[in-house]
Amino acid sequence: MSFLRSLSLNSVGQRVAGSRGANGDSQSKPPRYSAGGLFVKGARNQPWPRVWREVPLQKSYDVVIVGGGVHGLACAYYLATNHGITNVAVLDKAYLGSGGSGRNTAIVRSNYLTPEGVAFYDRSLTLYNTMSVDLNLNVMFSERGHMTLAHTDGALRTMRWRAEVNKLQDIDSSVIDPQEVKKLAPSLDVSDHARYPILGALYHPPGGTIRHDAVVWGYARGADHRGVEMHQKTEVLDILVEGGEGRDGKGAGGKVTGVRTNRGDISAPIVVNCTAGWATLISDMAGVKLPISTRPLQAAVTEPVKVFLPTVVVSGSLHVYVSQTDRGELVFGASVDPFNTYNIRGSLEFTEELAGHVLELMPGISRMRLLRQWSGLCDMTPDYSPVMGFTPVDGFLCDVGWGTYGFKAGPVSGEQMAETIATGQTAKLIEPFKLSRFATGELVGEKGAAAVGH
Amino acid sequence: MTANRLPAQPGEYIDRSKPISFTWNGEPIQGFEGDTIASALTANGVRVVARSMKYHRPRGYLTNDFWDPNSFVQVGDDPNVRSAHRLAEANMAVEAQNVWPSLERDIRAANGLVSRFLTAGFYYKTFIKPQRLWPAYAKVLSTFAPGGTVDLDTPHRYHDKRYAHPDVVVAGGGPAGMAAALAAADEGASVMLVEHGHQLGGHLLWGDVNDRMLADELRSRVESHDGIEVLLDSTVTGRYDDNWTAIVQRSHPIAVERLIKARAKMLVVAAGLIERPYVFAGNDKPGVMTSGAVRRFVNMYAARPGTRAVVFTSNDDGDAAAEDLARVGIELARVVDARTGGNIVAAKGGAKSVEGVELADGSTVDCDLLVTAVGWTAPTSLLNMSGDRPVYDELAARFFPSRDIDTVLTTGGMAGDGSHEELVAHATATGRLAAGRAAVTTHRLQAATARAAAVSGAEPAWPSDDRSALPRHPQRELFRSTTHGIVDYSEDVGSKDLVAAAKEGYDSVELLKRYTTATMGPSQGKLETVNTVAVLAEARGETIEEVGTTVWRPPYAPITLGALGGRVFEPVRVSSIQPWHEANGVTTILAGQWIRPEHYGDPAAEVRNTRENVGITDVTPLGKLDLQGPDVPKLLSQLYTNKWMKLGVGNVRYGIMCAEDGVVLDDGVTGRLGDEHYLMTTTSSGAGAIWEWAENWLQTEHPEWQVHVTPVTTGFTSINVAGPKSRELVSRLVDDVDLSPEAFAYMQVRTGTVAGVPNCFMWRIGFTGELSFELHVPSGHGLHVWESLLEAGADLGVKAFGLEAQRIMRLEKGHFIVGQDTDGLTKAPSTGMGALIKLDKDDFAGKPELEWALQDQSLPHVVAIQTTDPRIVPEEASQIVRAGTNEILGRITSSRMSPTLNRSICLGQVAPEVAAAGSELTVVLTTGERITARVMEHHAHFDPEGERLRG
Amino acid sequence: MLLVPCPNCGPRNASDLRYVGEAGPRPDPNTATEAEWRSYLYIEDNPAGLLRETWYCRAGCRRYFVAERDTTSNEFVNSPLPGNKIGGKA
Repeated sequence: MSFLRSLSLNSVGQRVAGSRGANGDSQSKPPRYSAGGLFVKGARNQPWPRVWREVPLQKSYDVVIVGGGVHGLACAYYLATNHGITNVAVLDKAYLGSGGSGRNTAIVRSNYLTPEGVAFYDRSLTLYNTMSVDLNLNVMFSERGHMTLAHTDGALRTMRWRAEVNKLQDIDSSVIDPQEVKKLAPSLDVSDHARYPILGALYHPPGGTIRHDAVVWGYARGADHRGVEMHQKTEVLDILVEGGEGRDGKGAGGKVTGVRTNRGDISAPIVVNCTAGWATLISDMAGVKLPISTRPLQAAVTEPVKVFLPTVVVSGSLHVYVSQTDRGELVFGASVDPFNTYNIRGSLEFTEELAGHVLELMPGISRMRLLRQWSGLCDMTPDYSPVMGFTPVDGFLCDVGWGTYGFKAGPVSGEQMAETIATGQTAKLIEPFKLSRFATGELVGEKGAAAVGH
Repeated sequence: MTANRLPAQPGEYIDRSKPISFTWNGEPIQGFEGDTIASALTANGVRVVARSMKYHRPRGYLTNDFWDPNSFVQVGDDPNVRSAHRLAEANMAVEAQNVWPSLERDIRAANGLVSRFLTAGFYYKTFIKPQRLWPAYAKVLSTFAPGGTVDLDTPHRYHDKRYAHPDVVVAGGGPAGMAAALAAADEGASVMLVEHGHQLGGHLLWGDVNDRMLADELRSRVESHDGIEVLLDSTVTGRYDDNWTAIVQRSHPIAVERLIKARAKMLVVAAGLIERPYVFAGNDKPGVMTSGAVRRFVNMYAARPGTRAVVFTSNDDGDAAAEDLARVGIELARVVDARTGGNIVAAKGGAKSVEGVELADGSTVDCDLLVTAVGWTAPTSLLNMSGDRPVYDELAARFFPSRDIDTVLTTGGMAGDGSHEELVAHATATGRLAAGRAAVTTHRLQAATARAAAVSGAEPAWPSDDRSALPRHPQRELFRSTTHGIVDYSEDVGSKDLVAAAKEGYDSVELLKRYTTATMGPSQGKLETVNTVAVLAEARGETIEEVGTTVWRPPYAPITLGALGGRVFEPVRVSSIQPWHEANGVTTILAGQWIRPEHYGDPAAEVRNTRENVGITDVTPLGKLDLQGPDVPKLLSQLYTNKWMKLGVGNVRYGIMCAEDGVVLDDGVTGRLGDEHYLMTTTSSGAGAIWEWAENWLQTEHPEWQVHVTPVTTGFTSINVAGPKSRELVSRLVDDVDLSPEAFAYMQVRTGTVAGVPNCFMWRIGFTGELSFELHVPSGHGLHVWESLLEAGADLGVKAFGLEAQRIMRLEKGHFIVGQDTDGLTKAPSTGMGALIKLDKDDFAGKPELEWALQDQSLPHVVAIQTTDPRIVPEEASQIVRAGTNEILGRITSSRMSPTLNRSICLGQVAPEVAAAGSELTVVLTTGERITARVMEHHAHFDPEGERLRG
Repeated sequence: MLLVPCPNCGPRNASDLRYVGEAGPRPDPNTATEAEWRSYLYIEDNPAGLLRETWYCRAGCRRYFVAERDTTSNEFVNSPLPGNKIGGKA
């Protein structure tokens, strides 16, 4: 652990001197994005510099992060920004943000059930609120409110449970009645005629949507400016571990020495698994087993029409959620597919069930046309909470198991993982998510009332 | 005849004997039956039909087909109608979309003045500070959102769905599709031929006399073939696992739009080719269009798209377009041939129309119609969906399938080029191959079903693909001229934007697409994907093959939510007594699929009457499983935490079931009706799940146990008769069972005749805490028994009570409800039922976890709670906190005002440190006010010794 | 819509069945350690490749069976598998 602290000290020195990336080349201060800058560059017909550099892959780093989505990039960003650790490489087997970060429906909120969940996601929301300024890239955070509909008295009770827990932590959430629901989203059918009439909803004004790709680019740009290296099309083929109890010296008791990639071996004392969809495949390389089963989550989008839905609407009973982009497209999602698979070609029954349920909520939109469906892989855990922090392999950390709720947690996860790596101690906010909880049976309370959460 | 209507053309599809008129932005338009909206507008001289998304530039028809990005109009309450595909109808009210105040004078065109600053993705670089203004900026940006207006009061019209099991689905009704369908049907296969357009024929429809002859011949053979079902104005819009094919049928006599789900044994993709636009300066001016667009206007609809044309050609189709124009008297100002080195550089003129074109040789030619023919894009969506990654061929300048998978075959333009004879021959071989493979699949499916009638013969060999490949005609690679132009018309993304984005680091196809939004608009990438890839390849100095392409995602053609949703079949369940409930002022509540009586006007009165006299309640949804066999006690011991091996006949026991993690799954009573006959009850929401749970243990862990499980939840109408006078009431209807307390004790079960109905089960149990008899009556007689009880007990004061009264009474007795007072993490010891966990049993579900849980001092407890102020009824889910803090120690799970005790009563879950009887609690009401409450000694608030029950 | 090979009903639409999960042995409840029992409860193999899994033919014959499927292509291999004692947590 003292090794990590010494890392931090060296890097602080580097930071003072003018950040040097692993390549030793100095980073001149990058131009700021702004309306003024846009004007000047437009007038002079000048290009903007690369959003992140393309640099040669080194043979060693202090930290290797596997997975170039929002979690991995945020971790790299905060390692550099908060702890001065810049000799970091983020590796992605495709392009940055190609996994869940590029496929999600971009909903952010903090109206969770457990106090530890609320504290965690709210920290993320706080970071999202100032992100555009902090990262100097407009991530288009649109605080438009988030409504979770209840169609049964059991669901209403759960909504109230969440609202009460939220209120005790000063989070703005409340249970509203059908008339208030109608005022917030006039397109919803709140009458008795619905097959599953709306009895009320959990309303969370601070929730909203964000431009998910922009968050990825913002963190990548920010990390890059501080010397972190991003390497796309770099696939990790194996994790090098010595001295473990398992086969080939992997597994519990072992120590990480580096990774093997399609572009050569890299030595590193710290390797962080920030993948989604491949989490168990990567962890298997280190000899660490996880409580994860991988399922596709599908989403779909319609043609654009004039904006009529001002808020995010979720229905647990109907397994559906919907929001409308500023361009006017309706974005939909539902629950994960019913069986394990790595195949994300999508299914027809997803769009059929989705359409059927959405039309129960908003019968007036039957003429709108679906334009595109896609899916991504979700790593589902038994208690609807992630696996974060240390593993039985020394130097191998995980930030995985994000199910269907990973994007909204990107910023806080990165911040807390960076702290964990830099200090060698599990950061307090992520204590409840440790891998060992499954061995001790201390599952996170979010399982208490799981529904379609987005 | 309108200004731009040509004289009769030999292949025209309009019927000049049937004129139609409609309006365009309020102005009258004359057309004919057979016109599309686009052809009628063009024949009436309309050039500008839309404004582009970002810069609001005037736009005219570009491709004049389903994919035309400039063709979206609003027709009545229908937004985003593709006017180059939709047939004109009398009295349509057609309007331009996304314009203000009008199509002619759209003020947002001012964006164009600052376009050099508003490059793709400009919003990421700005609107950053001050942050609090972002919502205002977003609102402004949203008014620029493209697309029409959806009328939220649109009635939900009829949409139906259909299942089909054809041997072969052919996607595409051009010459290849028709030939393949005929060949397959001739081999005896059942064929569905799905054509996007309004007629069969594909590209032959706007061709020359030979093309039309071939089209007529194939069409008449197809239409007279019994083995081919033709679907027009329909598209195969998705291919999913195991050839589950989605077909959207747009023209249907009754349904607005219909989804057909076809499990095709073989899919033949003959979707043809889509013409690519050319990228150059001014390429989005009205009057610039593809060769196919022109030929369709002129040959199919006799509509004149211009008066003086320049044609930029690089292939036969461009040449044919020039000939067609000359034939109908449109002046051909110049034919520029790329094959001899010619090129066009820029379209000149005002915003509303092209007026001339600058050529590569430096000259400028005046024209009001600029036609391009620069090559084709293969719409490989269905192949992508089948798992193929198409491969780029430089010679033909387009993508081809890399290989055909076993059950998906390609033919027609997507497979290659060739003469009519060559195309038809390849398609015929394809159809024959498809039929052969479908026959083998049929054989396999029949043989795979264990109980199918014996399948005759051995499985035939899977026919191998021996088709000779179609030739590929060379096509010059023409994606972008020497200037920059629009690449994605519906997103207003130009090649300049793509190059700038690539330079900025968004230099893989997926990043570029996400940053600029190119290919993400309503034309779904059909027209712009290849040009985007080509521009990126150029910017990176790589080949198209190296750059790759984005994955085409379903649906191939858009489909309405109504068609996808169809009619949602969500049955409701009601008991046989429902007619009585409805006739007697019931307020119902939805519980899962069941509609249940919640109360009949005054639940508190119902409680009082039941405790003073007698009440009856309909509890039919209670889960019921009939268990028979010598090993039933073993099953019960495995599922429940307590012991069941020695339950005597006629006796009943209560039990809790846990999952393997020790979490409470369900609870209920099980009674032994006979030597090898038991009846298990479960919670109503658990009925289905517990049946599957029992079957799981029997089938997978203990197949040696002989037990038959039959769900009888709906087979019996269940009526609970409760109250001090319940025995008196039941005895008036039952003769063959001794109901006296000595003969029929608490927690026992009997079989007998009630109100003349034999084979009823009678239990003495009691959720309500009153003396009660629960009657299970064969459902057909449920209403009769219910009414008999009411009649026989009139003098006893019998009244119906509903779910709410029952909930109040069970709460008065402290009975917890699984899923309300327990949750997804509550282990059995928390419920206070630790005594029911018998660890000396050999095995039962969750045993190890329960053993560890019994030793775990940190688990929460379910306790009974009473507020200090008896008038306050805390809302369920109110939190319990440590006094003076916000630290959560538990919550209220059930809460009611008790009519029996005249004070509020609750159950809740609390941390062990405050679970002891007498502990003081701080409850946070939903108003924020904090009150005190106390943990009670027993779960039951009323009659904790259960004297009334055991009477 | 995936076709799932039910041993009795033949290949059926996946919506006719319920996916139960990875098939694997149930430890002896009397001798299992906490780690072993919880591994059975929570740890998954989750391979990108062949997976033995349990399905329940909900809308048809109502039998549980084990199949082997390639989780990258969704193709069933040698399925359904014979035998009944398969464990699993339903």
